[in-house]
Amino acid sequence: MNRTLRLLGVAAFLVAVFVVVPLLISVTGRKDVYYTLTSVALLSIASAGVWLTFYIGRINMGQGAFALMGAYVTAVLVNHYGVAFWWTLPAAGLFCAVASLLIGLPILRLRGVYFAMVSLVLTEVTRLLALALPVTEGAKGITNIPLPGAISLFGLTIVPDFATLENPRIAFYYLAATLMVLCFAGMYRLVHSRIGHICMSLQQNEELASSIGVNIVHLRLIAFAISSFLGGISGATFAAVTQSVYPSSFTVTDSVNFMLNCFLGGLGYVFGPMLGTLTLYFGWNLLFQTGEFQLLIYSSLMIILMLVLPNGLLSLGEGRRKG
Amino acid sequence: MITRRNTLKSAALGTVSAIALFMGSTLAAQAANEKLKIGFVGVTSGPAAAWGTSNVRSMQTLAAWYNETGGVKIGDKTYDIEIVTFDDQKDPKRAVEGMEKMAQEGIHYVVGPNVDDGAAAVRPVAEKNNIIYFPYAFPKELYTPPASNAILGMIANYQSGPAIYKYLKENKGVKTVAFIAANESDPLSQRDGGVAAAKALGLEVVADKDTYQNDTRDFTPVLTPIVGLNPDLLVLSGVAPANAPLLIRSARELGYEGLISTETAQDAKVIEEGAGELANGFISVGGASTPEIASDRMKEFVDRYTKMFGEYNDESNTKVYALDYILETMKANPAAIDNIDEFKKTIDTFSAPNPYVKGDSKLSYVGTTSFGQKRQISVPMVVNEYKDGAFQTLFVGSVD
Amino acid sequence: MEQVIANGLYLGAQYALIALGLTLIFGLMNVLNFAHGQMYVLGGFITYAIYGQLGLPFPVAVVASGISLAVIGGLMERYLFRTVIRRSHREESTMLLAAATAFFFDAVILLIFGEKQRGVPKIVKGVFNDFGVIMPYDRIVVAVLAALMILGFILFMKYSRTGRAMRALAQDRVAAQLMGIKVDRYTMIGFALGAMLAGVVGGLLVSITGVNSGIGGPISVKAFLMIMIGGAGVVGGAIAGGFILGMMESVGLTVLREYGDVTYLVIFAALMIFLAIRPNGLMGKPWG
Repeated sequence: MNRTLRLLGVAAFLVAVFVVVPLLISVTGRKDVYYTLTSVALLSIASAGVWLTFYIGRINMGQGAFALMGAYVTAVLVNHYGVAFWWTLPAAGLFCAVASLLIGLPILRLRGVYFAMVSLVLTEVTRLLALALPVTEGAKGITNIPLPGAISLFGLTIVPDFATLENPRIAFYYLAATLMVLCFAGMYRLVHSRIGHICMSLQQNEELASSIGVNIVHLRLIAFAISSFLGGISGATFAAVTQSVYPSSFTVTDSVNFMLNCFLGGLGYVFGPMLGTLTLYFGWNLLFQTGEFQLLIYSSLMIILMLVLPNGLLSLGEGRRKG
Repeated sequence: MITRRNTLKSAALGTVSAIALFMGSTLAAQAANEKLKIGFVGVTSGPAAAWGTSNVRSMQTLAAWYNETGGVKIGDKTYDIEIVTFDDQKDPKRAVEGMEKMAQEGIHYVVGPNVDDGAAAVRPVAEKNNIIYFPYAFPKELYTPPASNAILGMIANYQSGPAIYKYLKENKGVKTVAFIAANESDPLSQRDGGVAAAKALGLEVVADKDTYQNDTRDFTPVLTPIVGLNPDLLVLSGVAPANAPLLIRSARELGYEGLISTETAQDAKVIEEGAGELANGFISVGGASTPEIASDRMKEFVDRYTKMFGEYNDESNTKVYALDYILETMKANPAAIDNIDEFKKTIDTFSAPNPYVKGDSKLSYVGTTSFGQKRQISVPMVVNEYKDGAFQTLFVGSVD
Repeated sequence: MEQVIANGLYLGAQYALIALGLTLIFGLMNVLNFAHGQMYVLGGFITYAIYGQLGLPFPVAVVASGISLAVIGGLMERYLFRTVIRRSHREESTMLLAAATAFFFDAVILLIFGEKQRGVPKIVKGVFNDFGVIMPYDRIVVAVLAALMILGFILFMKYSRTGRAMRALAQDRVAAQLMGIKVDRYTMIGFALGAMLAGVVGGLLVSITGVNSGIGGPISVKAFLMIMIGGAGVVGGAIAGGFILGMMESVGLTVLREYGDVTYLVIFAALMIFLAIRPNGLMGKPWG
């Protein structure tokens, strides 16, 4: 793909997300789609983190843990210490990144299913911690989290106070979409940088990579920290949207879903997690009118998709180009 | 490969069109009256499926019954009731999604969610979109001002617990109590409430920290230390219907001889299959269920439910009420049909006969003592004792 | 204390049997079968229907569970997993397929058998109570059966032609193929055997813990834990892992009960530390 085409594609995507979608929603009156798309955007950020750990050859089933941590960091800071949401957002990400460095140091030595399982256990450990620690208010959860306030710079209001808006859902949509665009732009840069290429080699052969002088321990830790940062951001924003957080806000199911999103989109494609999340989350919603047969149809479609496109949805385009 | 893809495609197309046809035909069958949509957001799949399923099926049974007999007359119009359901998979994020869907459908009255975290998460959506919802979750702040859109759909453990403990203290000589709960939000909160209530009554609490994972299949290791303490009463706080018989059976097989109770509704069939005669004497809270107090209408409801879904669930004894409360309140004030402020006004004075219980029991809103405002539906607090496959009424209490 | 150890042993026997089928499938195909718990549930419901509802003898029901699951497992391998493994670039992709089949089973089981917890009449009545140990007879029967089946499975893998072929496959697929082993055939048999084990355990345990349509996922996760402790893909590892987890739960719940909510926190944290020290479990082969 040449440069102009790529730029055009990016522009088209941005226009679609920030102009076309809101326009379509206001024309059709389907206001509930705002929340759906907000969720998709936020979940795809967390899934992007999981994708990055796949990129270094680790099956990550611990993203739910970091999303939960992020949600609690925001909730505690906002509710107990009165910090503005906008400061807690990066704080949640950084907290998760630091936590993941501490956790990652011992467990990133594990590979394959062992890493997968340990990260899955981590999700459960985090949930139990949230139940047991005093600062998280245990089983009662933290509720009544206020909506994000205004951001002003030199007296100029850049972001309005969400509570004053007629429909805060729209504001959350723009916020989530912006975060998602930033996240995937960053991921794209990362993957196509020198570090990205080295990560690629990690995925294929760690021994070989280390023998040519790559500090794989560092690299793995960095990738895991970025991944967890994204998980934290995603969880923190969710806490603001639902205005509450409970130990069960992100569970093992979420951790598994983040991973499935990556598989469905395609492990070989940066934008795989985004498409995967959109398909899996939206798919479930579209089927809600089928009532008790919802899960049956959903899972059948998933199996069929897997048989037709075992390398992810995005491998469809590749097949055509080859043909 | 190409042929294969085509086959799959046509198979998918076939499925979709079959579904469309099926839905089209059900829609065409009932077109006489205007439709009144009532929502449900709760869990109908996964390990806690029993909670939401008994909700949904109660609502669907009632709706079918009303529609079959010509609809519900509210003001001067007659409506057919349509139940719109959303499975939140016990995930608060999905519950919000479900509430958004209900708002989109123009629905103002929603039954559910079934758990604490979901009920808290949907609150902003409900308040923004003028939705009254009936959670089966106990956190007081959902119902206490400034909150005003949630109405508790059952009796909370902090209301039934004290009554049960008091009864057992006075009638069965209970002096020591042990609590056990799953390590999740709802059961732990209920346990803490139960412990406080027991202490307030002067009972000695011998165990208040024992927990288990909700997916435990074998409770013997969990119960071994508690049975060793030999309390007079073992309280299964917020126990899931699937776990209750297993806990009872393990405790009895370990030689526990005291009483066992819980504050949540259970199903007699589940207990019979899972614990058999070992469960005799097990105390739980039900609705208008037992033969002594059930009205003919309640019996017909059970028949219709059984016919429609193959098997009744005793949890529906409590869950039968929410839809009727919504409809009866609307009948009392037809303006409430799309105006929840009118509904809230009516709550304070509303009263109608309770069709599910013999005698002159009333439907009304309660909760002033617990929440400072009427944000709870009044259902008879029937405390049951399990005996040989059925529940027997121990005593009937009420909440104000 | 005797009681705690007896509980642990009983729990371990039952866990080990659950883990065996999972580790077999993993060893042969590197597939982490997310649907293992759902197969267990299905087995449980088949026994429930045949023994609990139709009233046929319990052994018949358990055998029927095993056979049905073996057939389902064989079909799954042949028509789903084989296709996907052949066509995907990364073998982890089978995880999505496994998860999808798990959801599918969940949906089917929920539609057919409903949302309620189910149980069957006790197979043996009475409780053993001596030497400071209380143990119902039906648990003893199930534990002994489980132990016998584990033993039988080990002997089968060690001495039978099929068992040896499967072990060869698990060790080195290519070499096994070169030696003339029909890889496809034995993979399918292995998958069917793994599924059968899940079905049989489900059938056996329905007599004690009952079954309900939602527990498949949690059972899978627990089984993963066991094979991680022991070492994935190794039969001995699964057995050791099952017994260790059973003992940990039993002892942990008694020793740590005063600390309340943190009991399971400690158990899981210990597990993470253990795996950090021994990245391949007790006796697992490295896998990357």
